[in-house]
Amino acid sequence: MTNPFNPAEGAEVSSRLNPAVAGAETAPGESPAPRVIPERRRRGLWFWFRDTGWRHFIGLVMLVFAAFPLLYVLSASLNPTGTLVGSNTLFRTIDFSNYIELFQLPQQPYAAWFINTMVIGLIAAAGTVFLGALAAYAFSRMRFRGRRVGLLTLLLVQMFPQLLGVVAIFLLMSGIGEVFPQIGIGTQAGLILVYLGGALGVNTYLLYGFFNTVPVSIDEAAKIDGASHARIFFTIILRLVAPILAVVGLLSFIGTTSEFVIASIVLTDPQTQTLAVGLYQFVSQETSSNWTLFSAGAVLAAIPVMALFLYLQKYIIGGLTAGSVK
Amino acid sequence: MFEGSLTVWVDADRAGVLEDIAAQFEEERGVTVELVTKDFGAIRDDFITQAPTGNGPDIIVGAHDWLGKLVQNGVVAPLELGDKAGEFQEVAITAMSYEGQNYGLPYSVENIAMLRNVDLAADEPATFDDLIAAGEASGAEYPFLVGLDPAAADPYHLYPLQASFGAPVFEITADGTYDPTALALGNEGGEAFAIQLAEWGAAGILNTNISGDIAREEFVAGKSPFFLTGPWNLPAIQEAGINYSIDPIPSAGGETASPFVGVQGFFISSRSENTLAANEFLVNYIGTEAVQTALYEVGGRAPALLTAFEAAKSNADVAAFGEVGANGNPMPNVPAMDVVWSDWGSTEVAIINGQGDPVELWRAMVESIQSKIDG
Amino acid sequence: MSHPSPASPLAAPVPPAPAGALKPPRSSSSTRGILIKIALLSIIDAIAVFGLFMLFLQESWIPFAIVLAVTVLVNWIYLTPGWLPAKYLTPGLLFLAVFQIFVVVYSGYIAFTNYGDGRNGTKDDAISTILLTAQERVPDSPTYRVTVLEQFGEYFFLVTDPEGEVSLGSADSPLERVTDFGTDSTGRADSVPGFTTLGFADLLGNQRAITDLAVQVSDDPNDGALRTPDGSNAYLYLSSLSYDAATDTFVDRQGTVYRDGGDGAFVNDSGRELIPGWTITVGFDNFVKAFTTENIRGPLISVTIWTFAFAILSVATTFALGLFLAIVFNKPNMRGKKAYRLIMILPYAFPGFLSGLVWLGLFNEDFGYINQVLFGGASIPWLNDPWLAKFSVLLVNLWLGFPYMFLICTGALQSIPEELTEAATVDGAQPWAVFRLIKFPLLLVSVAPLLISSFAFNFNNFNIIYMLTGGGPRDVSAGVDAGATDILITLVYKVAFGEGTGRDYGLASAFAILIFFIVATVSIISFRQTKALEELN
Repeated sequence: MTNPFNPAEGAEVSSRLNPAVAGAETAPGESPAPRVIPERRRRGLWFWFRDTGWRHFIGLVMLVFAAFPLLYVLSASLNPTGTLVGSNTLFRTIDFSNYIELFQLPQQPYAAWFINTMVIGLIAAAGTVFLGALAAYAFSRMRFRGRRVGLLTLLLVQMFPQLLGVVAIFLLMSGIGEVFPQIGIGTQAGLILVYLGGALGVNTYLLYGFFNTVPVSIDEAAKIDGASHARIFFTIILRLVAPILAVVGLLSFIGTTSEFVIASIVLTDPQTQTLAVGLYQFVSQETSSNWTLFSAGAVLAAIPVMALFLYLQKYIIGGLTAGSVK
Repeated sequence: MFEGSLTVWVDADRAGVLEDIAAQFEEERGVTVELVTKDFGAIRDDFITQAPTGNGPDIIVGAHDWLGKLVQNGVVAPLELGDKAGEFQEVAITAMSYEGQNYGLPYSVENIAMLRNVDLAADEPATFDDLIAAGEASGAEYPFLVGLDPAAADPYHLYPLQASFGAPVFEITADGTYDPTALALGNEGGEAFAIQLAEWGAAGILNTNISGDIAREEFVAGKSPFFLTGPWNLPAIQEAGINYSIDPIPSAGGETASPFVGVQGFFISSRSENTLAANEFLVNYIGTEAVQTALYEVGGRAPALLTAFEAAKSNADVAAFGEVGANGNPMPNVPAMDVVWSDWGSTEVAIINGQGDPVELWRAMVESIQSKIDG
Repeated sequence: MSHPSPASPLAAPVPPAPAGALKPPRSSSSTRGILIKIALLSIIDAIAVFGLFMLFLQESWIPFAIVLAVTVLVNWIYLTPGWLPAKYLTPGLLFLAVFQIFVVVYSGYIAFTNYGDGRNGTKDDAISTILLTAQERVPDSPTYRVTVLEQFGEYFFLVTDPEGEVSLGSADSPLERVTDFGTDSTGRADSVPGFTTLGFADLLGNQRAITDLAVQVSDDPNDGALRTPDGSNAYLYLSSLSYDAATDTFVDRQGTVYRDGGDGAFVNDSGRELIPGWTITVGFDNFVKAFTTENIRGPLISVTIWTFAFAILSVATTFALGLFLAIVFNKPNMRGKKAYRLIMILPYAFPGFLSGLVWLGLFNEDFGYINQVLFGGASIPWLNDPWLAKFSVLLVNLWLGFPYMFLICTGALQSIPEELTEAATVDGAQPWAVFRLIKFPLLLVSVAPLLISSFAFNFNNFNIIYMLTGGGPRDVSAGVDAGATDILITLVYKVAFGEGTGRDYGLASAFAILIFFIVATVSIISFRQTKALEELN
């Protein structure tokens, strides 16, 4: 194999070699004979339902559950004079003027927010994945004093209720800004650094758990070949744990793009703000809130998250198990 | 040469208007104005936490009912308007003062009024009972609409009705300000209002499940002749082509149904080093007719400056709301209001939904508020 | 077992070493690595040196010492051999220390102070603000036109009073009539020989000095002093309070003395405080208050039980649904699974409070979609009945939280080697047994810490409760603030932020620390269990 990490190829290989793959819990072939076996065609249908069809049924139920509340948001975004939840008549009007208006407000530069959010979210996600993977590698592959306590501490630090987090972050960032204005209050770089402060946390566990499933024998073989620890980490391990890197990256991206409190403290100029901060201004004043415009903004803002997930899906699913590592 | 700049926290709507005047200020006075767009709801608390660190803004935009909190925290500086004070609506100046000092430069005044769908009710009712009768006679689905919250009712919108029973929140002193030590909610009028609330709730005239959103949708759909609301809902009503009239709020308890008046304005930080420039910017730039009119045009709130207000009155809606507001009292700006709102609201919910004897609930509320104010 | 626990790295039969792409090329790898390392270190050191220089100029010695120590440590870690774990942990830990530990320490410190509304600055700031607000304009006094002059670094007011009389004064010398002066076109005196006239632009460099300048109108301080807020108009003020630095007291015009009462405020004998006060440390007072506050103690037991129930059920339901869906869609040849997966992420991609508002609308008793359409016009009090409200809160939290669990379970499932399940299936194990005995335990090892963390998050999930019910429905007649869906953190919020003088951050932080201890204890116990789990494998 030239590239064992090509997910598409891997998935193909795995399904060829192993028809059951992850569907083992239903184990169609090995399951006891279905109670009703009248004729072939029905048996085929029944087989299909037991194997796959019920999954579609679950999928459709979840589609309603997951998406229905959001139809209100979509409906509101298409009705410039409507309300968010004032009516049960959805999609009474279809009018895209909210979407057009979003890009025409000089004080609310939606396009700039959008780009800022993407840039900050992607950089912070990449940084989080990198820092988290480094730490997880150490926790997984090395034995040192305080390892277990260290892991526990990472978990506990995140649990501290940060009622005053905002005040502390503000003090810290203004202090940093006096020495390094480039990363102080009002800068996106500063905000990214704050987000990276949360890189070692619960995500480290996810990575750590996954690292543990990569056989140590791989490291050892490479070591015998003379590779340094850094080389093993960067060129072998990181590629093997691609699925979980993608999951952590996605979680981190969603987390940073929807983060509001810290971003609203750190970013002051409208041109530098993120979607979470900017959009909220549409609705923060009860008497002049514009829910329909806000809804349109939220619908568009959800698209990159969806796109990123679609893109990462191939890495998330079928990365490791399907490869030649086994 | 001075190289500093004025930092001003504004919400997005105000930022657009201020951009021009900021540029003019920079040109004429040589001081850069840095406009920081903040979410309006976050300005008060962020300002209170950031100003004491010495890194806060010089000026913020805000609502007059924040003032008690701002003064309590020592983050706002008194603002001397001099002779200019007389150029503003009196209610705006009263609202911006706290314990005898003026603290803000007001820019807008707003209040609620009774909107009437003329096609459903041709005449203006004299009392609230008449209004209900007319509402029922109209055959519409609801005799009357007001947006409430299922968990917190809406003491702000219900206040005019309460005031018509002679029960303000605090006693009003001779100089027209509130005495925060003398809670007036618990007087006889307050209890009479509580009984009336229970009756309205039982009769379905008040329904805590009708949220502000729903009330607006239903009124726009022509399902009620009356809607107690503010100017912010006018655009949707006009869009729907409703033939409306803006009336004074009819009295339910015999006295004037005076609404709360909300005033917005600008405040200077007590930690500002740019005191002169900040003062100059507010009094001689934002306090001008051109800026006040421009702020009115973007927000739809009636200007606080008299000349701008008179000009804005050419719009009949502004004039009508202004007339209703002339009977109003500024919303109390004492710090204790935070405590008052939450108990007040949840008790109104309980009374409207018939969860107990109204007078007892009302008394329990007054007692609870009093004990929290006493700390 | 091909899931080696860290404690037994070689437990698994060694698979053949990977070939091809996995084989690291040997040549020149270390030299390039070293070059990259040196380059990165140089950049970091350059930034650090710049920072040290700036801190040195600002004479901030404590930050200087910290930055210096950290820089030396970082260099030492990366330049000396050994200390391998530190090489991998340092980058993340540095960020953690700066941006998280600092916040935790700060929050912890606040618990020992009286920080909150009316007590949020230093004593010096409080004194200057009290003096500022004590300046009361003399009623019905006129506006004086004024020009600011300067001589030998001292500022003077050149005052033109309403009658056109002109006088000059400074902070040290009361106003005195002058005769030798120049005027501008409006009749305002604007210059005196020997003095420099300052225009608006000249005043900007020292604004505070100008606006703080008080020029007495006569030798008697009780006649008042002129002050200018704008540099061109002055008004007559009398201060209602005067401060004596020697005795650290304020005295008002009636002679009442306000002393530093030791509570972070100036207070007179009858207990009246001047606002604002200032922040002081108060030791364990806040913790004592936390244990004695009646509004907390009354409903404490029922609220604690519900908090645990809410947190545990939230984790259990979101995990169960997320895992179930991850398994359902983890089928290679299933059509449309990409689309399904995408839709599962939807609730996660929208702002939470927007979704919360929609749910609020859906649950509306008379108008909501659920009652109107799904239940055919029934009037079910989803959020107004104590038990239904608890259910509704959990349902919405499930909606908000299952995509997260779905994602991590989907990811974690990939780490379970297929041959395990294959082997078991071939051995004739039932699907459910395969899942329960093999897959689930393996999965749990990697996600258990996340479940613990999710428990902690939900234990303090303030937003969802506040958004949907505000803690209600509340029995107002019972006289307690706690409602049926109040969890500890929302109750604390009501008590620490909703009573007396307003927000009491000190008390809130003390509560937060106490809650942290509860959550941490539960977490550590659970964490022990995961260790047991890990060793099982």
